[in-house]
Amino acid sequence: MGGVVSLSNTRKTAGTTSGVEEENTSCCKKMSCNASVIRVHVPPEGQLQRAPVHLLPCEIEHSGSAQVSQYFTATTKDRKCEKTVSFRGRELKGQEISCPQGYTGLVLKETNKPGSDQEDRTVKVSSVFDKLTYWNLETPPNSDDMIVMAMDWPELADAIHGPVQD
Amino acid sequence: MAAKKKRATNVQNDSWVVVAADSVIDTHSSDSDPAFVRLRNPSTDAASLYMLSAGDKQLFEVKAFEEDFHSWFVGQTVQRDGRLLFVTPMDPLYLILPYLSKAGKEGKFQPVNQIVMDEDFPACSRLLSCTRSLASLLHIAEEKEMGSLKFHRYSHEKTMIWLQKKVERTVVALKKKNISVGEGVKSTTYIRVKSESDHHEEDYLRYAHGLISEYISEDLSKALLSHLQLPELTSPKETEPPSKKRKLSDKPVEAGEDYTKLNSTDFARKPPKKMTAAQKTLSKVDKTGMKTMMSFFSPKVKAEKK
Repeated sequence: MGGVVSLSNTRKTAGTTSGVEEENTSCCKKMSCNASVIRVHVPPEGQLQRAPVHLLPCEIEHSGSAQVSQYFTATTKDRKCEKTVSFRGRELKGQEISCPQGYTGLVLKETNKPGSDQEDRTVKVSSVFDKLTYWNLETPPNSDDMIVMAMDWPELADAIHGPVQD
Repeated sequence: MAAKKKRATNVQNDSWVVVAADSVIDTHSSDSDPAFVRLRNPSTDAASLYMLSAGDKQLFEVKAFEEDFHSWFVGQTVQRDGRLLFVTPMDPLYLILPYLSKAGKEGKFQPVNQIVMDEDFPACSRLLSCTRSLASLLHIAEEKEMGSLKFHRYSHEKTMIWLQKKVERTVVALKKKNISVGEGVKSTTYIRVKSESDHHEEDYLRYAHGLISEYISEDLSKALLSHLQLPELTSPKETEPPSKKRKLSDKPVEAGEDYTKLNSTDFARKPPKKMTAAQKTLSKVDKTGMKTMMSFFSPKVKAEKK
């Protein structure tokens, strides 16, 4: 099983990164856990795993391993402009959508939860993706799909946050 | 139902699907990691989740795009939480502005590192490390140099001009992306318009003003409206009931914008949010530091705040 592979070279992070001001006040830590940070560990580029990502039009009340390749990907039909698959007896229609230019898809995973809320948390980039496949229930994918719209956000955000001319 | 709820709260979410600017993962030049931090949201005055790049060079905003009834397949795993988080570069000046504005009431020139301090959010001083911060202070403050030291004092006039430029930039982007900004949009879902000719300039201005208002205080938002010479409208929330057509309710998230509880319970799942159940579940919605993506689809009139 490929998929999400946890990388073993997590840095010993206890105090090495940017959350310094929270680190050195351990006595007030309890009160200021509000201020704690969540570090994002990014493995070196060569060690970034790729994993296929699908957005499904249903809530699956479970998180954990699943035989996605065997029972989902393997039965997907790939036609010219849309993919179809039968999932639990319902027809899904989907398409691939790319991340906006200058953006990368990341799957973040929290591997070691701190035992207390006084420790900073760390999440790790466990896999990356350039495109994802989203699935509609019966409706053919089109440009008004919410996820397609959402991919416009970075460009709009750039207008809102980019530097203004003097 | 009770059983379902119980299960939902027991499930600890430990995985998130994110679309992030490439600069987030470009950590080669630094020996530190990027980090999610909580900072004071200039619009709500409460805590929100942001991200600082390695070495605090760049600030990012974290927004959640969320639709009801979605989950992910990631590799050979299923992830119940169907949200997609966007991590996009953010202008740190929006977060610095409230501190300067507050200090400006004293009318004195002060060193900026003495102005941008916050007991509740000690990380805010890191905003001054962002590459753009110090150079861009002149957009919102007057500057005095004495020897090697610089002192700043908030300028309302300069701030208005800066915000107007922000609005103008945003109008250009909205037009370019053909984002529908007309009145009807508020009550239906976000739609792409094929022809933009029937949209008035004012609709774009108002829409852009609404987007910018997500990053400034209510007072500034009102001041900006009059600076743009747009008359105040009555709140759509008063004139029309919360639309039931709109499946992507962002209401519970707004109510949950008290992000102060960001520890192991964050990113907890939201209860199913039908409009009718919204009130009941308001107290239980998640307290994550992310706004709904959908908030950018409709300009907010901040009627409900204070």
